[in-house]
Amino acid sequence: MSDKDNCTYKEGPLPSCAPLAVPMLAAQQHSEPAYESVDALTKGTLFPGLDLPFMDYVAKGPVEASPLTELMALDFVCQELALYLDTHPNDAEAFKKWKSFTALAKEGRRRYNEMCGPVQRGDTAMFDGWVWPEDPWLWNGRKAGKK
Amino acid sequence: MFVYEKKLQYPVNIKTPNPAMAKYIISQYGGPDGELSASLRYLSQRYSMPYPELKAVLTDIGVEELGHLEMVGTIVHQLTRNMTVEQLEKQGFQDYFVDHTAGVYAQAASGFPYSAATFQVKGDVIADLAEDMGAEQKARVTYDNILRMCDDPDVIDVIRFLREREVVHFQRFGDASGAG
Repeated sequence: MSDKDNCTYKEGPLPSCAPLAVPMLAAQQHSEPAYESVDALTKGTLFPGLDLPFMDYVAKGPVEASPLTELMALDFVCQELALYLDTHPNDAEAFKKWKSFTALAKEGRRRYNEMCGPVQRGDTAMFDGWVWPEDPWLWNGRKAGKK
Repeated sequence: MFVYEKKLQYPVNIKTPNPAMAKYIISQYGGPDGELSASLRYLSQRYSMPYPELKAVLTDIGVEELGHLEMVGTIVHQLTRNMTVEQLEKQGFQDYFVDHTAGVYAQAASGFPYSAATFQVKGDVIADLAEDMGAEQKARVTYDNILRMCDDPDVIDVIRFLREREVVHFQRFGDASGAG
């Protein structure tokens, strides 16, 4: 006989054998289906099941294509898969996909470095001088982002 | 240890100054349910978390929230950087301007300076995770409210992205509480 069978009305609608408290939420089961990377960045999630906009506030179109947004999209997929893997560490498919996107993001960063400058301070080592302080600092917006 | 990436998580390109809008959006910088609270909450709760999955999810979401703090700061900066004295007077921005000019200061929409009283670190798995899920929903509603008031498509696009991240983080904390 399991503990559950011992629960009676005396414990009320929540039986005494229930855990102290668990913030319940329907768990995400799979890392698929998934949006393609630029779509994912545009929507703010990789997963169609979590794409829950406020009223009709949806993106007017994909983010404008540039070396920067290409890198943003690849990094975004890595981030989404990493958060998913933190809570689903045994999903081998998701891990495989994360590995391939991590490699793509590394290439994307190299391309961005060549066209626009360092992303991480260490990237400055591939330049002839200390260009780290130079624009683009992205809070200035698009104009500064183009060299 | 943290390594800075000289880019935003999502592009922010706002063309039109609008100090009135900056004045309420700044609440997601230093207000009660803002991104600074979010990052400090998650990064501080990590120390007493007993399970590896929870340490990882708090670290990774906490760091992403720092990226969102930077994005909200960018929105406020771009909404105020080229404003005229006429605009700031007409839009009721004088009280902010007199103290901070066009700088970005951590405060709520009401003007109340950032306070760590906006979040809790209870040192208990269930209490902290339940707070985290509530915090994501509160931040989501704040973005809903900003969308209700906002009429600049450049701003709406970024707020919409930030709001969606709250939905995803809520799911992750929910998944984490089931896993733990």
